[in-house]
Amino acid sequence: MAIFNLKKREIECKVVYYGPGRCGKTTNLEYIFSSYKKQVKGEMVSINTEGDRTLFFDFLPIGLGQIKGCDVRVQLYTVPGQVKYSSTRKLVLRGVDGIVFVADSLEVRREKNMLSLKDLQANLKEYGKSIFKVPLVMQYNKRDLAEQGIPLMSIEQMEKDLNRQLKVPSFQGSAVSGEGVGATLKECLKLTLQSLQREFKWAQ
Amino acid sequence: MRDNAVLAGSLKFLALGDIMQLLGANSSSGVLRLISRYAPEPGFIYFENGNPVNASCGTAIGLEAVYALFGWTDGEFEFTKENIVSQRVITKSRMGIILEGLKMVDDGQVKRVGPGAPSRKSATATDSDAIPIVKGPLVDYMYVADEEDFFDGEYIVEEGKHGSWIWVILEGVVEIVRETPEGPLPIVRLGDGSFIGSLSSFLIQGHIRTATAIAVGNVQLGVLDSQRLAQEFASLTPEFRGFLVSLDKRLKQLNERAIELRQKQLDTSDFLDNKKPVMKQGNVEEELYVIREGSASVVRQEDFGRIPLAQLYAGDFFGHTPFLDFGHEPESASVMATKELKVRKVDVAQFQKEYNQLSTTFKNFIDNVATCVSVSTKVVCNYYKKFGLGK
Repeated sequence: MAIFNLKKREIECKVVYYGPGRCGKTTNLEYIFSSYKKQVKGEMVSINTEGDRTLFFDFLPIGLGQIKGCDVRVQLYTVPGQVKYSSTRKLVLRGVDGIVFVADSLEVRREKNMLSLKDLQANLKEYGKSIFKVPLVMQYNKRDLAEQGIPLMSIEQMEKDLNRQLKVPSFQGSAVSGEGVGATLKECLKLTLQSLQREFKWAQ
Repeated sequence: MRDNAVLAGSLKFLALGDIMQLLGANSSSGVLRLISRYAPEPGFIYFENGNPVNASCGTAIGLEAVYALFGWTDGEFEFTKENIVSQRVITKSRMGIILEGLKMVDDGQVKRVGPGAPSRKSATATDSDAIPIVKGPLVDYMYVADEEDFFDGEYIVEEGKHGSWIWVILEGVVEIVRETPEGPLPIVRLGDGSFIGSLSSFLIQGHIRTATAIAVGNVQLGVLDSQRLAQEFASLTPEFRGFLVSLDKRLKQLNERAIELRQKQLDTSDFLDNKKPVMKQGNVEEELYVIREGSASVVRQEDFGRIPLAQLYAGDFFGHTPFLDFGHEPESASVMATKELKVRKVDVAQFQKEYNQLSTTFKNFIDNVATCVSVSTKVVCNYYKKFGLGK
């Protein structure tokens, strides 16, 4: 549920980066923060959570237009995966408008990816959302590691593992170098805004 | 509620993180006041243009106080629109505070203040000897028949004496004490809005007091119209009355446990031996049961051991009570029983209906008993940790 801020004539929506620990969610956001400086509003909040960091900042998508004459402001979050951070997860996932699922291409992380996706589905369900309906984009991260001879899963296999039923747009990425990061975010914002437009049309 | 409050509600419904985001989006300036039955003093957060600039919670101020308030999961809040003259002590960004605060709660760095929250990674700073204060909701003066003043140290009721009066504390603190062979043992302290007297005084004429109540500092009490309350009690269905009596018994038993632990005489075998959990701590449970035959025990699982809380017998209730939170099963305790236990399901919806129809004072009274159960449980757990079983 996006929030209308009538005072500022803004629509505030939430995009969350989800995925198993150390898959590169944080690296994605850090890359966006440093490469799209002009569109970033305010500072980046970084909280050290066990095993991972939780990040947050405001982002102004450019070139995606306005909705009903209101500017759109996107809050970008990563969410800590550990079970114990339930309060944080609850705050971040409640009212989420779009999700980027970052999967780890390392062969050894295959099961972690699937568990995390299942976990996402369960969490969304708790807040009354369906993983099939929420705007969702996949990123198969760490593709660059193949050059170093580290065994990666093939894209076909990852599609089969994670995206067989969902059939959402997916991108190859390497968050460290920034490859695919912009494309992933752009697609997710597009889906999110389209879904918001649909909601508002329905409300008219 | 003060008349200039512009936003008020329950923290259970809208958590502090959400309130702060709301005030932030609205660029509001004013004071957010939080009250909890489990904290002796209210907490304050001062906002300027939607950003927190200062706060206080007990002795803590500034950022430390805001973080402490994130642990308040149960309570009420109200926001009053005011121009803030307070100095800007907090400079951290709003979202930074929210995410950090929630993380600290999840990490156990901030103490959870609420019913029965098991002490996770138990905060080391808390003094296990400190007797917690139980506060009640705002007093409904409709039921206050008379007012009475007591001076510091004066006895309000004495254990073992007869009496069926019920008071509500208008102002001040009252200590509840049980007599033990080694002298009086303080059980709990009651603050504004709490009740003195027990539900079982409705049952028997010439009820015998089960504990002593002593004024700590000067205290002003409201004498309640106990006849009216007794009539209300009598008009309830037998089953609901049974439920209330069962709740009252639990409270008495918790006080017994505290005494037993203090004297190192607690015998856990009655609670644990040959028993299997019928309801596991933390599991989701929707039903409420009444025991027909056999017995069961309520046990809290903590890092430092399994703490027996109460024994339940025929006619006692256990399970999920949607309208009351007394910090036991199913969220914060297990129920153990032998194979002989026979139970019957209770129509919870009917109970809920009956509860909703109660007068405010009666509801407050029951809520207060539930809060006392939850706080006494904490006392028992603290004693268990401190004194162990001693056997």
